[in-house]
Amino acid sequence: MPADFYAYVRGQTDTLPAGYTEAGMRAYRYLVRLGARQMVDAHFPQLRPGLGEDAWDTLIAEFVRQSAWPSHFYGDLKDEFVAFLARASAEPAD
Amino acid sequence: MAGLGYRREMADWDMSAVHADFFEVAPENWLRRDTAPLHRLIESGRPVQLHGVSLNLGGTAPIDAGFVREIGGLMDALGCVHYSDHLAASGDAHQLYDLFPIPFTRPEALRVADRIKQVQDVLGRRIGIENTTWYTNIGDMAEADFLSMVVEHADCHLLLDLNNIDVNRKNHAGADIDTFIARIDLSRVSYLHVAGHEFDARFGLYIDTHSQGVESHVAHHARRLAREHGTPILLEWDNDVPTVDVINRELSCLQISTPT
Repeated sequence: MPADFYAYVRGQTDTLPAGYTEAGMRAYRYLVRLGARQMVDAHFPQLRPGLGEDAWDTLIAEFVRQSAWPSHFYGDLKDEFVAFLARASAEPAD
Repeated sequence: MAGLGYRREMADWDMSAVHADFFEVAPENWLRRDTAPLHRLIESGRPVQLHGVSLNLGGTAPIDAGFVREIGGLMDALGCVHYSDHLAASGDAHQLYDLFPIPFTRPEALRVADRIKQVQDVLGRRIGIENTTWYTNIGDMAEADFLSMVVEHADCHLLLDLNNIDVNRKNHAGADIDTFIARIDLSRVSYLHVAGHEFDARFGLYIDTHSQGVESHVAHHARRLAREHGTPILLEWDNDVPTVDVINRELSCLQISTPT
């Protein structure tokens, strides 16, 4: 599978990989974000109402965009999310 | 014989009231968890089979032999006959916890078959692979031919998902169930999957949600295969899980009458 397939799914680019449909690629990007959203929401239920919908969507999109999740276990996404927040907070502010 | 995908939402159910002949679980959900509920199902005379989601057969990460050995241990502990995963990628070199299409080409079929053989070598037994729903893909082969080539080269079983064939037919004007199964070796089929799906107007696609009852023509094909080939059928209902009564009604629609 071409690397740009996963770059699109992660939201790193909006350029469609050659030969794939726009609707199908949008569906895959949506489904991956949905999976991340559901796991984070289940473990940190205060986040979404605290942030509001726009900031919540941006946070999940960024979590997926930078992802390199190694675990076979979907439940480990909560630990990846905590690590993602730690990395993000350690970055110098613009 | 009609089975049911066992979900965590069913933990509080009286499972003796569920008219399933066998159950299926995702090993990823049980490798780190108390398996007592599964042993209770087995003690009720109904076997449990494993259907995984993260082998990443279509991906590029090396096959994780340690993980596969853990699966083998769970199979032994539960007395499972079948372990299957999807003919799909669950990521590239990493996981994305969804299922992505493998290009329908001969080189990809051979590459993935080699990965399946690696899994089987570690496990010391055949696995099954499931034909999946795909929302866009590339390649120069018909899906059924691609599937057949993988199964033959890997010498593995096939978990034939009739719902996925139907979703792909609707989304891509692909092969209907009769046309699809005419191109595969039914002797390779371990059992059937059936489920429901929904149209999502945001994408103009039917999505494999497992959140609805089984369409009548899909159930019809499943019963026919069960009658003619003795193939067990398993109902998947993973989202918006309904009541026991609704599940039992669906299961009864999948049962075939036994000649007396």
